[in-house]
Amino acid sequence: MQETRFGEFGGVYAPETLMAPLEELEQAWRELREDPSFEADLHSLLHDYAGRPTPLTRAEQLSAELGCELWLKREDLLHTGAHKLNNALGQCLLAKSMGKARILAETGAGQHGVATATACAKLGLECVVYMGEVDVVRQRPNVLRMELMGARVEVVKNGQRTLKDAINEAMRAWVSDPEAHYVLGSALGPHPFPSIVADFHHVIGRESREQILAQAGGLPDLAVACVGGGSNAIGLFRGFLDDDSVALVGVEAGGEGLETGRHAARFSGGSPGVLHGCFTWLLQNYDGQIEHTHSVSAGLDYPAVGPEHAALQAAGRASYEYATDEEALAAFSALSEREGILPALESSHAVGWIMRECEELRGMRIVVNLSGRGDKDLSTIMATRGGSAVDSVQGSEVMS
Amino acid sequence: MSLNRMEAVTRSLRAEGRRGLSPYVTAGDGGMGRTLQLLHALERAGAHCCELGVPFSDPIADGPVLQAAADRALAAGTDVDGIFSMVRRFREEGGNLPIAMMSYCNPLGRRGWPEACAEAADVGVDALILPDLPVEEGGPVRAAADAVNLCTIFFAAPTSSEERIRRAVEASRGFLYVVGRTGVTGVGTTFDDSAQSFLQRVSELAIDLPVAVGFGISSAADVSAAKTHADIVIVGTALVRHINKAGAEDSAAVAAAESFVRDLMTGLGSPNIS
Ligand SMILES: Cc1ncc(COP(=O)(O)O)c(C=O)c1O
Repeated sequence: MQETRFGEFGGVYAPETLMAPLEELEQAWRELREDPSFEADLHSLLHDYAGRPTPLTRAEQLSAELGCELWLKREDLLHTGAHKLNNALGQCLLAKSMGKARILAETGAGQHGVATATACAKLGLECVVYMGEVDVVRQRPNVLRMELMGARVEVVKNGQRTLKDAINEAMRAWVSDPEAHYVLGSALGPHPFPSIVADFHHVIGRESREQILAQAGGLPDLAVACVGGGSNAIGLFRGFLDDDSVALVGVEAGGEGLETGRHAARFSGGSPGVLHGCFTWLLQNYDGQIEHTHSVSAGLDYPAVGPEHAALQAAGRASYEYATDEEALAAFSALSEREGILPALESSHAVGWIMRECEELRGMRIVVNLSGRGDKDLSTIMATRGGSAVDSVQGSEVMS
Repeated sequence: MSLNRMEAVTRSLRAEGRRGLSPYVTAGDGGMGRTLQLLHALERAGAHCCELGVPFSDPIADGPVLQAAADRALAAGTDVDGIFSMVRRFREEGGNLPIAMMSYCNPLGRRGWPEACAEAADVGVDALILPDLPVEEGGPVRAAADAVNLCTIFFAAPTSSEERIRRAVEASRGFLYVVGRTGVTGVGTTFDDSAQSFLQRVSELAIDLPVAVGFGISSAADVSAAKTHADIVIVGTALVRHINKAGAEDSAAVAAAESFVRDLMTGLGSPNIS
């Protein structure tokens, strides 16, 4: 294998059974990324099927209120409603070129599962998605969408029944069927996944850079994205890595607050270790056991962060902050009411941090990655407020 | 430097053309006191060496039985310090069974590899098996283990190329761990022609290094089939299931383990059951 690390982070801590498939994947990726016909096929899928490029929208009212210049990269408008499709289409096309017929995936928020189910339907591949029971409940619409597109959803009932446990189960399934391709959904796991996933999401940053230059006439001061495993953030950051004047900020899930221990802020509350195939920042106890996490958003509810982020943080190129559940919910409301955009709860964390820090950020031009739309989160959101007209209507009586 | 206890046993098995049995138990499953008694029972039953599992919260190479064992052990408060103390006590009580500590990278790596290896060797652990550590990442662990005369054991799987198997052989001391089939622990392995020819190929590539086969071996008949091209047969899930089924009493669990291992030993053939 070639370089498997970002600085000291990353690597390939995988069971021996998976080493051959990982080597094969790395080899195929190195060849195909240079292959004009692969590039043309992917471009056509992203452009004519998925709807790229996605717009960059100026958030007029929120900018005025916060005293900054806020630009939203609209990955919520990508087909299936989140950035995840960039990677799912890329990896499924890669898998198909490698002659794979069967695709395995994990999902937390359900967006990567939906994206993979979509790519498999489009490309004629069999699809099995592993999803924790807790996430199946809180992201129910996405389960139904996956099934409607012909994917099989395996409900994972181990551990805390969220994204971490879904990845465990997907990896076990891959060890049992190494002929299948595992479409990892974030910029984490053993090499070469963090690099492949980042490559497929680089398009977010490339477009954002061009668009902000064209629409605002200059680079932003700040590029901000939420960080679960780190795929939407690395996609955005890659567009600005060489622009030293652009500060990069990743926003993790602060959950109920760091002091409660119920959060997923790896950089603020964790330490380096090995989970799911790579060496990176983790939430773990004194004895190397992985800690439980909490976030109102399923997609950020994960105890490890992608290794490239760990390296960017170590190098001082990016910094990592957090927003709490409450701050994310406030940002959800602000974007809904002021901009007419229902954001995913994951993406709401990025905006929530900006809202909290608006004094510090006054006057700055900020690009924030709106990684997904919030339809999937309506039941979570409504549980925190209530008072909807639908509550007063009995569906069965009206329809009969 | 004295001969490593694991290497002494596995080399003599190889030199004398005998076969060995290596049972696996999860440390702390049923309490650390039970694990200590189990190690003595395995030795009494005639096991040649053993694997002592360090429970981990996220064991991606394990099936449901060993996942549940790890969960029980962690819920009972098992930690690496406790496991080390128990091994020290086993040696103090005269236990001579070679012990390979089997752990995912994080619980041991958290201490720092030089510290983890030094402590392991000091308490009387003889080898390390790390199922999420391929040869590529093995350098720091090997250096730390070699410095304290601890064996490192790497894997060969049916997906491994010859080149990979050669590298694993070169990096391993004590034995090479051969995964009998693709999959997690606990699902049965059938020793059909293709499994046997894979094992034969690995043992040829291993040259002098003893070869151990594991994953899904659950009866004396399995042991008998597995030993054709392997020096050592590993039994994990089936033993853990047996012990757990025996109930809450340590004495019953230990008796169940001992009689099960005695039964498995019959699969090794006559030279081993004198
Ligand atoms: C909309 C959205 N944003 C962000 C994430 C977090 O993942 P990542 O950090 O890989 O972008 C998810 C994950 O499910 C998501 O669905």
